[in-house]
Amino acid sequence: MAERRSSLHATDKLAFLLSLVPYLIDRGRVGVAEAAEHFGVTVADIRRAVELIAVSGIPGETSQYQHGDLFDIAWDDFEQNDVIVLTNMVAIDESPRFSAREAAALIAGLQYLSSLPENADRGAIASLMSKLARGASSEPSQVAVDQRDTDDLLSLVSLAVSQGRQLEFDYSGVRGVVERRRVDPLRVESADADWYLRGYDHLREALRTFRLDRIARPAITDAPIAYRAADVVLPDMLFEGSPDDETVTIDIDAAAAALLADYAPDEIEPLDDGRCRMRVRVGQFGTVARLVAGLPGDPIVIAPDAARAAVSDWAARAVALYEQAPPDDSP
Amino acid sequence: MSAARAPRIPVEERLFSLVLALLATEPGLTKSEILSTVQGYRQKHSPNGDNTALERQFERDKDDIRELGVPLETLDDPAASGNNQMLRYRIPRGAYELPLDISFSSEETALLTLAAMVWREGTLSGESRRALLKLRSLGGHAAVPELDYAPRIRSRDAAFEPLRDALDRAVLVRFPYLKPGESEPRRREVAPFALVQHQGRWMVACIEPDTGRRKTFLLSRIIGPVQVTTVAAERPADATAESALAALDEVWEARTALIRVVPGSDAETRLTKRRSTSVRDDGLLEIHFADLQIVADELVSFGPEVTVLEPESVRQLVVARLRRLVAAHGPTTGQTPVESSGGHHG
Repeated sequence: MAERRSSLHATDKLAFLLSLVPYLIDRGRVGVAEAAEHFGVTVADIRRAVELIAVSGIPGETSQYQHGDLFDIAWDDFEQNDVIVLTNMVAIDESPRFSAREAAALIAGLQYLSSLPENADRGAIASLMSKLARGASSEPSQVAVDQRDTDDLLSLVSLAVSQGRQLEFDYSGVRGVVERRRVDPLRVESADADWYLRGYDHLREALRTFRLDRIARPAITDAPIAYRAADVVLPDMLFEGSPDDETVTIDIDAAAAALLADYAPDEIEPLDDGRCRMRVRVGQFGTVARLVAGLPGDPIVIAPDAARAAVSDWAARAVALYEQAPPDDSP
Repeated sequence: MSAARAPRIPVEERLFSLVLALLATEPGLTKSEILSTVQGYRQKHSPNGDNTALERQFERDKDDIRELGVPLETLDDPAASGNNQMLRYRIPRGAYELPLDISFSSEETALLTLAAMVWREGTLSGESRRALLKLRSLGGHAAVPELDYAPRIRSRDAAFEPLRDALDRAVLVRFPYLKPGESEPRRREVAPFALVQHQGRWMVACIEPDTGRRKTFLLSRIIGPVQVTTVAAERPADATAESALAALDEVWEARTALIRVVPGSDAETRLTKRRSTSVRDDGLLEIHFADLQIVADELVSFGPEVTVLEPESVRQLVVARLRRLVAAHGPTTGQTPVESSGGHHG
């Protein structure tokens, strides 16, 4: 296992070296710090890579790696001025092609992002995808994500930010009460098919996360934005626990246990018959019904009794609707 | 022996030197030329001794390099066909280098950076990280969007990785698949040709080797390990991810359910925004779906805010599930509650 990881690490480093050389050739002269920022790596990573490149090359006619068979750099510039200048180049001129899987990852990622307003120009996106396919060393793997229509709400969010004005919308929280919220949009996040807006909520005077599909009647206001993405450090977790959270115990088929990962289960305890038991935190007992009802793997709330009762009451109210309303019709 | 005294060459230096050497040669190098001259091998090479371990190292290195999309070729010497020692290795420059006419604008670079970010948690995270390095190699800067985006696809299904592996190798797989309504999984043997995410769910599109029929399986219903065989399976030209998605869209368009939602409820907001939903004059919603069980799960999660009117199949599934929830969460009797749908059957 450790062997496998270190070898993965080495291929990442190789990809970095093969990508860095053409960049350095193209730039002619570039600061270590600028190169580090461009590649999103540390200054130490760049220095190590450059030092390795400077002593690498081809065996050459003598098979002895003679001086002219090696890359070389302007050492004084590198050591005294933190500037990289390649003075001798071998073997590599251009950037490498994408692998079939790399191209597939980018293409499927673009498909997934098709609802973004930046992606509204479908012709431009199609040509970008075909460039990726052409830039791959073999046919991209058959991995794809269904494309969606551009989301008008996302366009509005984006417009609010570029105009520097607050966004307002109706939002029904977990307690089922609809309120008009005024928000400085900070970030749009997603997890698979679910999209969220994170922002500063002027009504609650705090950072809040909103499901995009729960937002109704959105509009741009005249009020200026107080916070921008660059001003705020957003926590990584989409949903942070609050001290008021309730803990409930749930049994579920082990195969479906991962679906509860977002609710920060403390530990998963295996039971008989392929079931397992875990404790998860929920905002309030009322939300646990919606949670277990929609999950596969036959989840059952075990404790506390108040949470069990909340699920049972909620489901019973739904069943009652079917018993009073026959499918044919009702006025 | 000499390996003990030789300076330790980092793995990436050996791989880098191998790529440089193979790019620089037109006729190609034989294995013995590589092992005796290329940096990182030559230090461990013994001219008259046994180089078996070093040869195995070379085989693994070739795989690692190809994994990066580097087209490492093997040329057979026609004069000594079949003689392994005479095979020549090289990396043809044209197949290695990104074509010169491919460049990306700063908007495109920004989009591709986001597209790579989508996979940061998933199984393609290594690939997208390396793709970004190659993109950066071109020197272009990404336009910085004013709004921060953090999109993410999660491929949590354990079956994803082995299936993707089988796709790349074009081989048959076997897995246990649990169809809803059946109590025992059935063993499937199929040729996967595409992995697609449709409406947030991962599916694998396959061909049954005996009948040639195409079938789509939900990854979440593959309930045991996926066995990747070595049996080759040719992929027909029209069996693509695009065609698999088109087939799923066709099913989605054809299947509808008629539901009543409580006005002003969360269900009304969300289901109205759901893809292809239409609101009828009488206020009822017509929603589309691809899979009976999945749409039933989704509708049950709205509880009393939704009533399913049609079709009868979805209605019965939803009612049965709601009844099961009631029964399973009744007053505790000290025993684990046992499911009973009582009377009405789905």
